[in-house]
Amino acid sequence: MATLTRGAFAKPGTSLQFKTGDWRLQRPVYLHRNAPCHVACPAGEDPQAYLARLAEGNSQAAWETLVAANPLPAITGRVCHHPCESSCNRGDYDEPLAIHGIERTLGDEAILHGWNYPVRPLSSDALRVAVVGAGPAGLSAAYHLTRLGYRVSLFEAESEAGGLLASAIPAYRLPRSVLGDEIARLLSVGMTFMPRTRLGRDFTLDDLRADHRAIFIGVGNQRGRQWSVDGVVPRDSRPGLDILKEWLSIGSLPAYKSVAIVGGGNTAVDLARVLKFSGIPEVHIISYRAVPGPGVAAEDVMRATAREVRQAIEEGVIIHEHRGVRRLIIRGERVAGVEMVHTKKLTRSAGRRETVEFEGTETILHVEQVIPAVGQEVDPAGLEMLLAGHPFLHPDSWGRLEGFEGIFAGGDVREGAATVSDAIGDGRRAALAIDSYLRNSALPASQRPVVRLNDLNVNYFEPQPRTKIELLPVGERNAEREIEQALPLSHAGIESHRCFSCGECMSCDNCWTLCPDNAVLKTLEETAAGDHYVFDYDYCKGCALCAHECPSGYILMEPEP
Amino acid sequence: MTLEQPTKSCSELRRAQPVFRGLEAGHRACQGCGQALAARLVTEAIGPDVLIANATGCLEVFTTAWPQSAWRVPWLHSVFANTAAVASGMEAALKAQKRNTKVVAFGGDGGTFDIGLQALSGMLERNHNVLYVCFDNEAYMNTGVQRSSSTPHAAETTTSPPGRERAGKRHLKKDLVTIIAAHRIPYAATATVAYPSDLRKKVRRGLQVEGAAFIVVHSPCPLGWGHENALGIEVARLAVQTGLYPMIELERGELVGAMPIREVHPVTDYLRLQDRFKHLFADDPRAREELEHLQELANHNIEVYGLRAQKPDRFDSEGADTVRRGGMRTA
Repeated sequence: MATLTRGAFAKPGTSLQFKTGDWRLQRPVYLHRNAPCHVACPAGEDPQAYLARLAEGNSQAAWETLVAANPLPAITGRVCHHPCESSCNRGDYDEPLAIHGIERTLGDEAILHGWNYPVRPLSSDALRVAVVGAGPAGLSAAYHLTRLGYRVSLFEAESEAGGLLASAIPAYRLPRSVLGDEIARLLSVGMTFMPRTRLGRDFTLDDLRADHRAIFIGVGNQRGRQWSVDGVVPRDSRPGLDILKEWLSIGSLPAYKSVAIVGGGNTAVDLARVLKFSGIPEVHIISYRAVPGPGVAAEDVMRATAREVRQAIEEGVIIHEHRGVRRLIIRGERVAGVEMVHTKKLTRSAGRRETVEFEGTETILHVEQVIPAVGQEVDPAGLEMLLAGHPFLHPDSWGRLEGFEGIFAGGDVREGAATVSDAIGDGRRAALAIDSYLRNSALPASQRPVVRLNDLNVNYFEPQPRTKIELLPVGERNAEREIEQALPLSHAGIESHRCFSCGECMSCDNCWTLCPDNAVLKTLEETAAGDHYVFDYDYCKGCALCAHECPSGYILMEPEP
Repeated sequence: MTLEQPTKSCSELRRAQPVFRGLEAGHRACQGCGQALAARLVTEAIGPDVLIANATGCLEVFTTAWPQSAWRVPWLHSVFANTAAVASGMEAALKAQKRNTKVVAFGGDGGTFDIGLQALSGMLERNHNVLYVCFDNEAYMNTGVQRSSSTPHAAETTTSPPGRERAGKRHLKKDLVTIIAAHRIPYAATATVAYPSDLRKKVRRGLQVEGAAFIVVHSPCPLGWGHENALGIEVARLAVQTGLYPMIELERGELVGAMPIREVHPVTDYLRLQDRFKHLFADDPRAREELEHLQELANHNIEVYGLRAQKPDRFDSEGADTVRRGGMRTA
């Protein structure tokens, strides 16, 4: 029973006795949802998380957050096709964040300052795991397994690690010094690296099984796919990848006046640019698919990275899109040209997509040589049992191979893997699967829901143009100088402030400032959800104002239990 | 980084908030009340050293259900008509005691535009060192949504129903700011809950000046305006961005500042969210005419106050509410 005070005044703040929380029909909850960049990243990075650390001014913490998923940011920051940027919610507002450039800047900073990978020393009774192939998939798997506390033996057939990063990506995209530094740093986190040790020649899978508890296969696809036109192959035809590899290792290139490269992947585009840089006046690419551009359906785009295609065109490479090779024109033993025909992938009966050639659209292209770059396949040596006659392995999304317990696979050895980032993601997921297999524990739970632009309140953001990344002018480009220039750390910091922080609290104080009922409290300590705000459900009336005004979609309304 | 459950309970946290808030939780305002938010933001900017006189109205009723009070500062309920007079007396008494405690008067639009206007005029004329804050929710909400002289043209209230004769309120919203300006007081401004930094900045300015200051705060009322509880800020923001509620500052009656509108929205963006304007979207020539009328009223505001932004500015209608990581705000 309330007693009246002398003079009938009420004491300050006594309304707190009255709990308005029971008016509520729905309650707000802080919920970390996924940013679209995170969901889009094949390597499993969460750019939103490391952009936040960078915006806080801590570039080392940003890098550590980044390498919790991808140990090779200086490399992917140069070669990745950055689906993170294509999916960035900011892209539907003004321009996507320059995540790719920031990733590279962080990777370069780590090399410059010698930041240590967040890996703990191994215990003496660590279990042994073998990783076969030191390309992106194998390196990623070995790194994550080491982080998880396993003693890793990393086998590589060549004399150096890197796989196709070293053997197939030209220096103008990925300078050798960056590649060497990044991989050397990674190899020194505590794994045993064994170069010049080839599966099928120096050891077998059974040898590995004898002293390792699990095996990861990341040997890639090393053999050029057979190519012919109605059984006809030019006399001195060699797969494009072999030419590229030979040039990268010993620096020699064939000399022609004109060349046609068949294929639309990164190998085709890289080779075309290298040949163009070497002085061949006429370099053509013939692709079934289309040059990337606005309005081109994703499944119809050339598989090469869009910016590489754009740069190749700038440099004078001629691309014939939607063309197939109908016939090789051979004079004596030499190629004199190719007959091209317009093609398109069309959906025919039962949803099957087929390449259709259109009669009456044939044209002749006069070239001295035709080079196929139509993809590679797995070298079966040592993997005969796993392949069972197929050209590729078919592991599940965690890298597990059905019927082969303890053997995992990922990267280009898997059918459908296409990029360095895919391979890094495969390696990471396989490491988690190996950990779960050896500990008999559950695999990480499924993903959180994704935040889209209409889940955000963009009134609280300002348009701001994307930080520009400089390119070498076309006239100064050659096969050695890096074409894309670095984003300076200061610019990367400014760029990071453009991030919408999709699905994650950015401590903007909006909920705390705008609650009409004082039901949002600030706390110095971090809460279980990882933020600094608490709902006081004793007083929250459930008006949902905070959820509507949260800029980053971090507050969700739930029905009152 | 380890995540820990906060070790403090909510009531402990409430005592350790980084900002003093003169209005406490547990008040009986409706869900999503714009006035409760406005009053709290104003008290945040004022701080603890203040005496408040409060006219009859929603704010008085929902904060002081006997025997409790949601106020953390000395607060006195006056009658509907005389808040400004009571505040004048408080100021005179403090002056006689040579104390520097601030005096603030709170009133709704009913207690300011209509019932308390003569007392307010007197206070302004005598230039008492008082900040008068009017929470403008554009009708008598406490008694069940009757029209006031602040109700906008064509809005529906229980005493201005749309029907055969009229499409909502027949008359225009009273141009109170011009009346205030005619008193040549040191400072007068309009503000809104949608731009809290701007609101707090204006409150501090109003307290800083020597003499009478007046601020009218646009405060959405979900019940009376018929919008969703969650949309109060959205509605208030659109009132500014359409030009219907210009954000202006006056010193000695002269216009000294206006929040430019970077992207001018059509008034229908604002009206469509509120049931009090629902009848204007009927298939009816009179409704269409009233929509045009409201659009022209907004255009008139934009013209006379020069609201259209010439170039993007951090204090314009898009920049003034920009949030930054870590809660950094302009005020």
